Amino acid sequence: MKKLIIITSAVLLTITGFGQKYYTKSGQINFDATTSSSPEKIEGVNRSATCVVDTKTGNMQFAVLMKGFAFERALMEEHFNENYAESNKYPKAEFKGEIKNADKIDFSKDGTFSVKVKGKLTMHGESNDVETDGKIVIQGGKIKATADFNVKLSDYKVSIPGLVADKVAKVAKISVSCLLEPLKS
Amino acid sequence: MKRKNIIRYIVLPLLLILGVAAIYIYKEYNRTHKDTARLKADYSATAVDLMAEFSANEQASNKKYWDKVIRVKGMVKEVTHDEKGFYSIALGDTASMSSVRCSIDSIHGNTAAAVKSGAIITVKGICSGYRADELLGSDVLLVRSVVENEK
Repeated sequence: MKKLIIITSAVLLTITGFGQKYYTKSGQINFDATTSSSPEKIEGVNRSATCVVDTKTGNMQFAVLMKGFAFERALMEEHFNENYAESNKYPKAEFKGEIKNADKIDFSKDGTFSVKVKGKLTMHGESNDVETDGKIVIQGGKIKATADFNVKLSDYKVSIPGLVADKVAKVAKISVSCLLEPLKS
Repeated sequence: MKRKNIIRYIVLPLLLILGVAAIYIYKEYNRTHKDTARLKADYSATAVDLMAEFSANEQASNKKYWDKVIRVKGMVKEVTHDEKGFYSIALGDTASMSSVRCSIDSIHGNTAAAVKSGAIITVKGICSGYRADELLGSDVLLVRSVVENEK
């Protein structure tokens, strides 16, 4: 009986041990709102996004400071923060969701998987449902998660002045790239 | 008014003003970020003190430090870089997961490359805010940072 309890406990611990949290504090998020008629690129990059993935539940969360988006031209960055994102009022953007088919992925083995991610994106004080395809590459105990999706700026009450309507796109392209490591508890 | 006078007193000054305005607009439009290494620090603090200040009152600290140049001294917890060579240095103490995370300006990547974990260094950067997180530790973020040489 004692042996059975020990073996059962060991098996249960092994199963639950497979569920683990992975994280990064240096995730990269690219923001591109360039129109085809714009003479210059309207793009910024944030290299300090946090991301946490729970491989047991598939839960996935992102957080990014809006002031962390770097633009090549200082004036563009200032306009982004002051007029569009209003970063002083809404300093952070967050995504809370899940990897839909996480139970089909063996996170303990190297492999490449196409995934569907669904959740809520909160930005500029507004929240909207977002669903996108993504890719997960597991290698050497780390997870590389990437995804591209579009964000309609008006859904987040980001208004574009008529003067620059031909330069700044109504729909911004977002690219996410994170290399996640196991979170040591 | 005589044609000569119109040109001398109206047209020429107007052209001058328009020319100056055009130069100003061109320069402002193409303005790049100032090199942090050349900027004077608005504040100096230790990493531990800075984190404590933000943790005690995030709103007040944001108002005080947002977009300001801060000189931060602390122990290096971690130096990381991505495949494009962008460095990030985390300063703080090993007791918690919180840190002052400094994204190093790409033109000063060489100042970060030689930094080792455990070293006490000073970094100057622009404060972009505070990211509170119970699970991952709360970080004060600096951008366009540069590691300063000990004098």
